[in-house]
Amino acid sequence: MLEFLLSNYMVFSLSTVLVAMALATLLQLQFGLAGIVNFGVVGFWGLGMYALGFIHLTLGLPYFAAAIIAVLIVAAVSLFIGWIILDLDSQSVLVATLAFGAIVAHLVTTEKWLTKGVVGLGTVPYPTGSGGGDPAVVLGLFLLLVCVVLVAYAYQINRAPFGRLIAAIRDNELLAQGLGKDVLRHKLVFFVATSTAMGFVGVLSAPVHQFLLPDLLGPGVTFSIWIALVIGGRRSPLGGIVGVLVTIFLFDVLVEIAVPIPQEFQSSVPAVKLLIYGVILIAILFIRPLGLLSGPKPSETTGQG
Amino acid sequence: MSFLQNALLLGLIEAAPLILAAMGFTLIYYLSGFINVAFAETVTFGAFAAVILTSVFGLNFYAAIIPASLLAGGLSSLTYLGFYRPAERRGIDLTEMIILSVGLSFALRYAALLLAGPDLYYFDTVSPSYYALLGVGITSFQIAALVLVTVLAGVLYFFIYRTKLGEMIRALADNRDLALASGINPAKISGLVWFIAGVVGGLAGVFYGVFSFVNTYVGWNLILIIMMVSIVGGIGSIRGAIVVSLIVGILTSAVSLVSSPIYGEILLLSVFIVYLKFRHRRG
Repeated sequence: MLEFLLSNYMVFSLSTVLVAMALATLLQLQFGLAGIVNFGVVGFWGLGMYALGFIHLTLGLPYFAAAIIAVLIVAAVSLFIGWIILDLDSQSVLVATLAFGAIVAHLVTTEKWLTKGVVGLGTVPYPTGSGGGDPAVVLGLFLLLVCVVLVAYAYQINRAPFGRLIAAIRDNELLAQGLGKDVLRHKLVFFVATSTAMGFVGVLSAPVHQFLLPDLLGPGVTFSIWIALVIGGRRSPLGGIVGVLVTIFLFDVLVEIAVPIPQEFQSSVPAVKLLIYGVILIAILFIRPLGLLSGPKPSETTGQG
Repeated sequence: MSFLQNALLLGLIEAAPLILAAMGFTLIYYLSGFINVAFAETVTFGAFAAVILTSVFGLNFYAAIIPASLLAGGLSSLTYLGFYRPAERRGIDLTEMIILSVGLSFALRYAALLLAGPDLYYFDTVSPSYYALLGVGITSFQIAALVLVTVLAGVLYFFIYRTKLGEMIRALADNRDLALASGINPAKISGLVWFIAGVVGGLAGVFYGVFSFVNTYVGWNLILIIMMVSIVGGIGSIRGAIVVSLIVGILTSAVSLVSSPIYGEILLLSVFIVYLKFRHRRG
């Protein structure tokens, strides 16, 4: 059993699940706590991933130096995007961030001098050498640690004054403003921190995927994270984790191992999976609008919804 | 001069289906107040219906347009009556409505993918005639699209702003409670609007399909630009949607003439993001 868990394929699959869990937990903070409708998850994540790939492979800097620079780049871009979107209405935020994600994906395809386009950007090696155990497993364990830290942070911030302030802004921005809070600045700080963390997850994802291709940055990334979060429960710090467990983990790992799918149906598996995601999403909105982990009831003082 | 001419004419042709799609999307956005992502599937459905009608049933292209768009209208009002209206009655908020539309979009799109497969379909049983207009080659289908867009835009505009029914729609969108108090039946009006929007969206799909190809992603690949046009055009402004679609079409084809069309899209999306900020500042 342990041997099976440590097979290359399983380590890769579980690592991608952990990446999704980290992103979903960060989205829980942005959407669940702060009410920022960020549909550009793939943009921040993909930017971190490709920035690392470019600096590490093309410029030849060591992984850790490249990681720091990549995170700083994502932070700068997050600041710019945050400045643009945070005073817009939520539907404009949605479309603007979706557009941002599409721009990043397009640029990765077109800017061949930077990303080698559809040919793919070399092979990103694992950050640790083979000295201290299988580097793929080390990376996976580090991703697990990242998830644990993020969930712990999400729990902590729910109780902390800053978290309550962010939630108050979500529920009634005008009221929070009236109480003398610098609403925009707090939202911006929170957005930049969480979006940069998405970029950091991208930095860690580069060696998981090894070979970087523009295909990795499809809008499907954003949507599957969103679907997972909504199903799991957007008001609960564990919502992202649970959502990824019942969607991506269930279908990409468990079903793959446990359900023998005949060869002739193999090609339709992804479509069936996404069809089921859609159906679950519709069902959950009717049955449990706040997701499996409904969390506390939304505040009664909600101003304009 | 000839660059300008090409960009204008090609842009106009390219804009024709976009104008249709944006008008349909805008109608729903205006009435129901949320971004209906599943509108993409209405567009795709129209395109597929027309392909099936022409290739399986051997219908003439022009004869297939009408039933294909009516079927798309049917799908649109079915999604409203089956999903959005029940959700509305449960008091689901706007963001949840959008998420619902994402779920519906995924369910419909991947069901279609399972049925139709990943292949590209072409309108290969019908062939257009070719003409030259101002030095640019143009097909009879493109001319039909241009004529139809002009007529439909006029009809819709008249319908929304000059008829009794249009007045009811505007009343319902602007002040729901007041409209209900004055005896407007919201289910009927909304069902009708979703139907019209679907018809227009389906038509857009047919023309996108006949200009290039049809697969299950036709609508999905366009939905971002459609949403963008509707938001920039102003919520519920049919006029705004038309004007912005025209600008988008001409801009895209101008960029495509000198470089890869993907840069056109990057430029558009960037301009759009910056515009949102600018508009907000002004307002």
